[in-house]
Amino acid sequence: MTSRNRGITRRRGLLLGAAVAAASLSVSATASATEELNALVWCDHTDPALIAPFEEANDVRVNLKEYEGTGSALAIVEQSQPGDWDVFVIDGVDVPRVVEAGLLAELPADQLPLADTFEQVKMTDVTHVDGKMYAIMEKFGYNVISYDKSKVDPADMRDLTMLWSDKYKGRIAVYDYYIPLMDLVALKMGMKPSDITADKLPAMKEELFKLKDNAAMVGEVVSSTTALATGEADILLGGGEWAVAVMQAENPDLDWVLPDQGGILWAQSLAVFKDSKKKDLAVKFVQYIMSPEGQARLATSSCFWGMPANKKAGAVLTAEQKTALRWDEQEGFLAKSYRYFIPDADLDAAMLDVWSEFLQH
Amino acid sequence: MRTDTPRQWSERARAWGLLLPALLWTAAFFLAPLVIMGLYSLWRRSGARLVTDFSLNNYQAFFAKGFLVESLVNSIEVTLIVTLVSVLLAYPLATILAERVPPRWQRLALVLAILPFWTSYVVRSYSWLLVLSEGGILSNFLLDLGLTAEPVSFANNRGATVVGFVHFFVMLLTLTIYANLKQLSPSYRKAAADLGAGPLRTFWHVTLPLTLPGIMVGAFLTFVLCIGDYITPQILGGNKELLLPQAIMLQIARRSDFPMASALAMILMAVVSLVYLACARWLKIDRV
Amino acid sequence: MARSFITALRALPVWLYVVLLYGFIFLPVGVLVLFSFQESRLPIPPFNGPSLRWYEAVFADARLMAALGNSIAVALTSSLAAVVLGFLAAYSLARHRLPGAALLQGFLTAPLTVSYLIIAMGLLITFNQLGVPKSLLTVGIGHVVINLPLCFAILYSQMGAHQANIERAARDLGAREWQVLGLVTVPMLWPALFASFFLSVTFSWDEFIIAFMVSRFDVTLPVEIWSMLRTGLNPKTNAIGSFVFLISIATVLVLDLVVFRSRKA
Repeated sequence: MTSRNRGITRRRGLLLGAAVAAASLSVSATASATEELNALVWCDHTDPALIAPFEEANDVRVNLKEYEGTGSALAIVEQSQPGDWDVFVIDGVDVPRVVEAGLLAELPADQLPLADTFEQVKMTDVTHVDGKMYAIMEKFGYNVISYDKSKVDPADMRDLTMLWSDKYKGRIAVYDYYIPLMDLVALKMGMKPSDITADKLPAMKEELFKLKDNAAMVGEVVSSTTALATGEADILLGGGEWAVAVMQAENPDLDWVLPDQGGILWAQSLAVFKDSKKKDLAVKFVQYIMSPEGQARLATSSCFWGMPANKKAGAVLTAEQKTALRWDEQEGFLAKSYRYFIPDADLDAAMLDVWSEFLQH
Repeated sequence: MRTDTPRQWSERARAWGLLLPALLWTAAFFLAPLVIMGLYSLWRRSGARLVTDFSLNNYQAFFAKGFLVESLVNSIEVTLIVTLVSVLLAYPLATILAERVPPRWQRLALVLAILPFWTSYVVRSYSWLLVLSEGGILSNFLLDLGLTAEPVSFANNRGATVVGFVHFFVMLLTLTIYANLKQLSPSYRKAAADLGAGPLRTFWHVTLPLTLPGIMVGAFLTFVLCIGDYITPQILGGNKELLLPQAIMLQIARRSDFPMASALAMILMAVVSLVYLACARWLKIDRV
Repeated sequence: MARSFITALRALPVWLYVVLLYGFIFLPVGVLVLFSFQESRLPIPPFNGPSLRWYEAVFADARLMAALGNSIAVALTSSLAAVVLGFLAAYSLARHRLPGAALLQGFLTAPLTVSYLIIAMGLLITFNQLGVPKSLLTVGIGHVVINLPLCFAILYSQMGAHQANIERAARDLGAREWQVLGLVTVPMLWPALFASFFLSVTFSWDEFIIAFMVSRFDVTLPVEIWSMLRTGLNPKTNAIGSFVFLISIATVLVLDLVVFRSRKA
């Protein structure tokens, strides 16, 4: 037990520890001389290819926090301080209730390319309140059926009811987002999504339970698209171009279709927070995303693809990208699709309960 | 007390002084949050507001909603299965490491056993998903061996969740049982052998009771860690069923319903406390 | 000869068991590392590599590297705090007879029985209520909460009568309290101090749920990986997982050479 040995051990150990600590602190200390913009977004906005050009052009750092489902976003906002957030990516149909909650700032309509967006996607009835514009649509797509055409009969995929039959038992993945999925169930039952009321829920629950018996798994964006990619499932209910376009380059067997009963249209919009301390920078960000270049990058972003709202993006997209997005068939699709149904607070809680029971079944 | 000498008094003051930082930290960042959560569990969420009159609403809702009670039952079932399987797999391994492996190599063997767990937990769970998936390693292996005709999936169900958990807890239990075994004097077993007991009887009546503390500590840790874990069931379970942590996260993430989530958390703590009381006599910290 | 053969044969099931179990333990890591060299976009069979493109992607990813640095910083500082607090508390309870010692002991080790999810929730609700912004600091606080009981338990169990005698001797020789603490107790307990520090770092480094719930933009590595996974499953995750694995092995080797070897000398 010579003190010399102990000394060497202890000193060496302490020196090593101090060196590592110093090194790590220097690595994590980010030089925050540039301005910062905080955005609450869907995962397709975290693609560096989309954000980096804006950051470089304006010398800012864009902090991104992604979420799935408007309920989660509102939870995050609620758990934050005013001024924490600047930009909000939000489901188009949810804009009215967020405006009502007093969260959004008015957007300068004259500085944004609203006129260049697809007619049916403008959705000015939800993005404008009392004549003021609070959000602008940036991207849209469909929650319908994605499938592997080498494993299933594409003709069957045109009929929603086939997914409830025994033919594809155990081959179906279900996208874990209750609003569009329950809307699809409504379509299968012959209703329109806007017809959903509390008394229809028990019947919908029965349909959901039957679907669960046929399902291989229920998952969010990554696990459900992975299931399709690995062959765990051959069909993704709730999928669309967003689920398969990313993987089509490597697996051309993946495809998607709007069933005859109709499709569910998802449309995401951009907004600025009322309490934001950087409104000008936030509006600049919105302008960038709505520009043809920004739109083209957003449309083909790494998390999921979708149609850009700005038609002028068509000039920037390549022919292959437009084919994957079915650019030329959009008019037909839009005619046969329904928007998300937005329930009031009580119906929403009831629907979430039904969905939780579906998960538990 | 009045007969304390100044030296004894200053000694006591010093003792409290040394203890205070840890006490304050635990009180402020552990106890206080739990108390606040307890309060929250008695409040309600109505729309976007917090209703702060006390009521047992959330607890009533728990028992009323089938899927919530089921999530607790599922959690307990899965945790018990995981604990049992992990103990059964870990005990032989710990014994082999402690007795059959030459002492020189024992530390290396232990380090090798722990090493795989220094990859990220999240990534490890996803790796299991890929191993067990229909196009994955296990499926291909069985196909190549000719044991199955088509690709098979082992993922997205309770079995996959159990496999993911057992993978981690076998390692944990091996460590605790090994530590216990190393502390045992071999003379106990030699004495039993001298008295004519065969290996099976020796194990049952001597070794097993003596290693029970190691098993119980590991099993208790397994229980606590497993029942409160969110990631493994979320990644590997495929939402075939809901476990309690997933139900809790649903309340927080999708509805910001902290009162309900707090009530569920209180219930989880109550279950763990019951298990702790049952195992209490093996879980004391003794001084060397 | 026959006898040793039969003995070897008898030992076969034992070693088979060991091989199978170690195989089970290493399976996901093996798959992880293998498919980090995957050429195509999906880390599933068939393996079409090897390619280093995903490692390049990892090092080019500024957010990932920042998260790595954050993880190290949080792990080291929170573990240091946990060891210091735990040491002081253990010394206090081991060397003095305080009223309600058993209760205090139980209080300090109570967090071990509470799931991380619940601790995380409690902290989230409390910080929201108090208006404290979420950051790496709040994550560090949470990590001290989970590691303090561990450090306390380990150090307390190592403060036996043997050390007490040496401390008494030092005091008799005229050393003051802080000298006893710093120059006698700490060196004596060096292995236990190191073990608790090392264990705390291990737990903090890979901890997910507390970091996930009480951080905002500056996140630790497990949280960044989780976000990364949400934008698509690709071998980049395998690459960072393998990289972390390699760093851990390297750290253990270095520590072994620096700390443990010289003690044996």
